[in-house]
Amino acid sequence: MNSVPTNDNPFAGDNSGIQQRETAARWALRVGSYIVVLTTVAIMLHIFVKGAPVVFRSQWPFVNTQFLTELPATLHVIEDQQGNHIETDVNGADAVKKKLGDNFRAEKTISYSGGGILGPIVGTALLVVVSVGVALFLGVACAIYLSEYAKHGKFLEMVRLAILNLAGVPSVVFGLFGLGAFVLTAPRFVAMPAERSVFAIPLGFTTLSFEGWDTCVLSGGFTLAFVILPVIITASEQCLQAVPQGFRETSMALGATRWQTIRYSVLPFATPGILTSSILGIARAAGETAPIMFTAALAFKDKLPWQKDLPPLPADASIFAHWEQSVSRFLGIFTESVQALPYHIYTLAAKIPQNEYAERAQYGSVFVFLVLVASLAASSVLLRKRLRAKYRW
Amino acid sequence: MNSSPPPSRPPLRSVLLRSRKRTILGFDPQTLIKYFFGSNASVAIIVLVLIMVFLLREGIDFLPTYQRELQTYRRAGLEFCDIIDQPLQRNQALSSSLRQAVSASLETLSKSARDRRDAAFLLKRQVEDKTARPRESLTQALEKTPPAPEQIEVMRRELREASANAAKALSYPAFFNTAEREQLQREFAALTPEAADLPPLLQTLVAEFTAKDREARAKFAPLVQAQEEFEEATEPLQEVVDQIKAKALETKEKAVEFAVLETNRQRLLEAAATETDAKEKASLTKEAAESVSEAVNLEESIKEITGRTAELREQVEKYAVVIEKAAAVLPKDAGTGAARSLVNEVREGIPVHAREMRAAAATLDSWRWDKPVSIFSVIGAFFFGTQWITNSSWQDFFGFVPLLAGSLVIAAIAIVIATPVSVVAAIYTNQFASEREKEIIKPVIEFIQAIPSVVLGFIGISLVGNLIKDVSECSWLQWVPGFPIQERLNMFNAGCLLAFMAVPTMFSLSEDALNNVPRAYIDASDALGATKLQTVFRVIVPAGISGILSAILLGLGRVVGETMVVLLVAGNRIAIPDFGSGLGVIFHPAHTLTGIIAQELGEVSRGSSHWQALFMVGIVLFAISLLVNWCARAVARRFEPHKA
Repeated sequence: MNSVPTNDNPFAGDNSGIQQRETAARWALRVGSYIVVLTTVAIMLHIFVKGAPVVFRSQWPFVNTQFLTELPATLHVIEDQQGNHIETDVNGADAVKKKLGDNFRAEKTISYSGGGILGPIVGTALLVVVSVGVALFLGVACAIYLSEYAKHGKFLEMVRLAILNLAGVPSVVFGLFGLGAFVLTAPRFVAMPAERSVFAIPLGFTTLSFEGWDTCVLSGGFTLAFVILPVIITASEQCLQAVPQGFRETSMALGATRWQTIRYSVLPFATPGILTSSILGIARAAGETAPIMFTAALAFKDKLPWQKDLPPLPADASIFAHWEQSVSRFLGIFTESVQALPYHIYTLAAKIPQNEYAERAQYGSVFVFLVLVASLAASSVLLRKRLRAKYRW
Repeated sequence: MNSSPPPSRPPLRSVLLRSRKRTILGFDPQTLIKYFFGSNASVAIIVLVLIMVFLLREGIDFLPTYQRELQTYRRAGLEFCDIIDQPLQRNQALSSSLRQAVSASLETLSKSARDRRDAAFLLKRQVEDKTARPRESLTQALEKTPPAPEQIEVMRRELREASANAAKALSYPAFFNTAEREQLQREFAALTPEAADLPPLLQTLVAEFTAKDREARAKFAPLVQAQEEFEEATEPLQEVVDQIKAKALETKEKAVEFAVLETNRQRLLEAAATETDAKEKASLTKEAAESVSEAVNLEESIKEITGRTAELREQVEKYAVVIEKAAAVLPKDAGTGAARSLVNEVREGIPVHAREMRAAAATLDSWRWDKPVSIFSVIGAFFFGTQWITNSSWQDFFGFVPLLAGSLVIAAIAIVIATPVSVVAAIYTNQFASEREKEIIKPVIEFIQAIPSVVLGFIGISLVGNLIKDVSECSWLQWVPGFPIQERLNMFNAGCLLAFMAVPTMFSLSEDALNNVPRAYIDASDALGATKLQTVFRVIVPAGISGILSAILLGLGRVVGETMVVLLVAGNRIAIPDFGSGLGVIFHPAHTLTGIIAQELGEVSRGSSHWQALFMVGIVLFAISLLVNWCARAVARRFEPHKA
């Protein structure tokens, strides 16, 4: 590569030195950029190599079903005199000990490392559903205003500035905000306002009390919604802007009102783009830890959010009572605090001593989490590419 | 406009057909829809304002609360004790240096003997670990009654075999000669659980070390003696200080208890005032009257404390004299160069320390217990306080500097690493890379953004920490300051990971900036005969510098605000990094603004001063993020190239 190229121009001076310098600089730049790529690939490989054996099995069904379908639990490791290690959970520990009898030698317990990670996965899914629902509604409406209605002026400038600044607010500050706003102050209907209620509006049959939602899926979801709001607004506005101006002009020329124009000539073409871009928002919402630390997440919970003990209905209960209980069970999902995958990883990494058993749980969770998030991000990128190829105007 | 004819009346038909123009509450639906979207757009502004409101609501009370606490700190006399106690802490640092010097000196003689002894014990432990299972079985069998001799015999044989194998498999250090090695192996193979005595060779090694150590102590007797004297010197003074401290603490506890009772009483009285039911009112008032407690007579107890000023001063003077004498007799020679420099350091440090102590004693008289704590000094104590101490039995301090210092050092490391990498990558992809390379580099770097920060934090704990520690132990890298490092989790580790996180932000924004350079600039440069490299570095990069700078600033914002990585990886030691150790400081652990909130907020009760302090930190973080954003915009505008 350093060979001097034949120079056709007879008047050109000898610039082999320059050529060499050019090549050297180019290679320096290339090495610099590939360092980043290689580091990323190395980290991914490390997680895959360590995490995949936890999740996958060499025999049917090839997947560690226990890891994906059970709740996290404390792992008990019992050692016998021959040096064999038997892994079991709380309930199995006594039986194993009894069976070993004299052969029993030692028992170790490792918190959070047994069972699976179904609880965290479900919790993260719930948080994502709430947050993306709220953020899509607010974000798309805001983007429609910015792209279709807004005229240059003070208000528009302020909105843009606010979005920029919102994108830069540290996630832990969002956590504080969520704690102050949703956990401790948000309004709810109660029979009797709590002492900490900021103020209460009596409505006759009930009271609207500003006393907060406590740590629950709703609080965490709303907090996350504001974390991803700037992402969604920016992405949606880009998609709306990408719809050619001619569509709007044609529609207006046919006598449609502005809303009809938006409804029938802009949104249908922008919606696929908006949805694909908001997948990135989902990935971001699933990955954030600091905002849910004080608003929704629990380190340990031995029940899924819908496994709540409700009083059993009498045998002759009407269909209405059954229906009511199902509804309250469903709504109860959102007022429960949950485990979440990123917080679970934090707990595993920071709160328990390192050993081989904990490491297995750690890499397994990280692997699953990363595969989820990465596949979301990748599908967003791929879908966007296909959309670009489909809509060409 | 004036020339246009007045609008003619619409034809009757259209008036009849379109007479019922729908309105909702007197508004045109189109306008309503517009306002609906407009109000959604204002959500961004509202959220920003709400963040401020809620942070302030929880955090703003911090200043008065902290003022009250500091007031109690002064009134109860805790501050008085700290006047002497704080400089006295220096004594520990000095005496630990001295101790190091002594042990370094002693080592010159006794090191080989100690190493041999320690190595032998380590080997013995290894053998014991390897044979733990048969040993335990044997112990259990021996304890059993009645003993089963045959079984025990079998177990003994097993243990002997296991021990012999383990002893054979050991790697013996080079400083044991062949005979010793064989003897060790024999002795290890014969280890049994009943034998309480050490094997003979180990005993010899211990004896050897003791003799050497005694010899060394005799040789460096003056140094050893000076060190002991120095350590003892503080005792009488410490005793007096401790007595006063106990008294002050007692007073403080009483005062705090009284304050709690008093607020409860006030609340009862308030409730009584608003209560309408006469009976309830009477009972509330009665309860309040019953809970009246006697206020602590602060003046009385402070007199008791200040009454000992003279005694305290006398002790300080005595202490200063003793340590100065100790400094004077500190021997010039020590075993090694390092020890000599340590001794010199101590010799210079002691007079300074003595002077500090005397100065502190002199200020005792001017200290006034009833001097009010002004709000400005409270603000100063928060923003310039150097201690963040919580859950202390003595006094909680909320000083902001250690956290800020940690955050800033980590951010600086991250930016120093991330800037060249991401700018180089942006220049390369934008100007040199082929289409195919672009298709690899860009998605990979953008993918980094999708990696959750907690995953990176975990990587820092499980992978990068060990990697850095192993590298730092390479013998040919010892010239790097700070190597070999003590802690796996440190600021450098966190900085590396944050740099990795900041790369995508900085890369994409820088690339945008390079993309936005007007085509004419490049064409002009080409036309003048510049090479590609010259065009890039003399024309394109300078033209895009504003975008690159603002990309770096936004990357900085991201790095300062990142929580999980620093919480997991930075080491979480709340202390101002020791900048005295030069560049090696980056390998020390630290705590950060974001990390402290995430770590401590879950454990404090709402409304306590600690809670409020954490929200204050949140307010500062919010302000920093706004400031960084503003700077980035300002920079982008300031260096904007003139559009061609």
